[in-house]
Amino acid sequence: MTELDDIDGLAAEYVLGTLSRDERAGVESRLGSEAPLKAAVDAWQRRLTPLADTITPVAPPPNLYNKIRAQIGLSAHVISLKAREQQLTKRGNRWRNAAVGMTAMAASLVGLVAVREQHFQKLPTQFVAVLQAGEDKPAFLMTVDTKTHKCVITAVSAPKKSDKSYEVWMVADKLPGPKSLGVMSEGDMHVMPMTDGPDTAMFMNATFAVSLEPEGGSPTGSPTGPVMFTGKLIQATP
Amino acid sequence: MQLTRPQLDKLIAGVAKGDESAFAELYQATSSKLFAVALRILRNREAAEEVVQESYFRVWEKAGDFNPALASPLTWMATIVRNRCIDEVRRKVPRGSSDETILENIESGDEHPLVGLERQEDVQRLLRCMDGLEPEKKQIVRLAYLDGMSREDLAAKFGRPEGTIKTWLYRSLAQLKGCLEQ
Repeated sequence: MTELDDIDGLAAEYVLGTLSRDERAGVESRLGSEAPLKAAVDAWQRRLTPLADTITPVAPPPNLYNKIRAQIGLSAHVISLKAREQQLTKRGNRWRNAAVGMTAMAASLVGLVAVREQHFQKLPTQFVAVLQAGEDKPAFLMTVDTKTHKCVITAVSAPKKSDKSYEVWMVADKLPGPKSLGVMSEGDMHVMPMTDGPDTAMFMNATFAVSLEPEGGSPTGSPTGPVMFTGKLIQATP
Repeated sequence: MQLTRPQLDKLIAGVAKGDESAFAELYQATSSKLFAVALRILRNREAAEEVVQESYFRVWEKAGDFNPALASPLTWMATIVRNRCIDEVRRKVPRGSSDETILENIESGDEHPLVGLERQEDVQRLLRCMDGLEPEKKQIVRLAYLDGMSREDLAAKFGRPEGTIKTWLYRSLAQLKGCLEQ
């Protein structure tokens, strides 16, 4: 009968998933430097993974793909905004459809904002961005008023996640990386003053994103968790 | 529709070069499987979504490191998802608060007839070898691999000391290895 030596036994239990947290961490720290252990782990992955094929597939929620695409998009931003623009033009139908949905959603909201403001404003000074995942209902609404020099972000619908916080980011080519605009929960409204000139122009051209971070916000100052929502500002008044 | 191994290899190679339509196709072909794997271990849709999202992001970033000689694309991707799920459940003690409706839905699908018809050779071989285990040992291997139970969880469920569970696991895994090498 086959016997497992120490390395093979450890690799088998690691792949099976029965080790404690500390034991798992121990194996993972050794994988990079111990070829026999790595080879044993790879062999057990090949032996046992067919079991995963015996589960009945379950379709993920339809907006999950868009969230993944948004996360890829934001990471591309950090590397190069130019590359992102090229990516956007190459994107397939799925992404384009989502974008059409988003624009329609934004347009209907713009209508509301515009009607409410038309008695008071004659100049195009109102801008709005809807930060949402795919074709879902809006989650975050951002408005910029270039006359009063204020940017307001409202968490319209941001389902509470235990131990997690939503953090809003601005991504612009003038910035070395995503800039945090604050940590928000549902119902929160943040008002941020903007200086006139270059600051305003940067807001107009930026992409805004919301990521899911550890409670209290990103520990590193950059997005560390999955990106849930993205959007850009569009003109809200004629 | 199930893609063949060469088709999946080709898609991963495309993703490694930054081909977005290959990524979309790979997602289409694999996301239901991977989501089911995560849901079964985490028993929570929201948590499963997060793990699957992070895993596909990793697939996008690491596709260049994928080595087809070591694993099939599905094995590689399922490993990424399972590792994250198991890290997640080991972080929290004790396991509880499971969504029973999710659990019922996925557990009832174990012997899904359609899957049975399409099962690939490696799946059939592993299932034949699993059938060679005593029923209780077979159940333990399934609960560990598919549901993410630790030795401690299994000891509590079967009312045995952890040492006994470890011995059972070693024997069962050794028997599986011997059977698969035949």
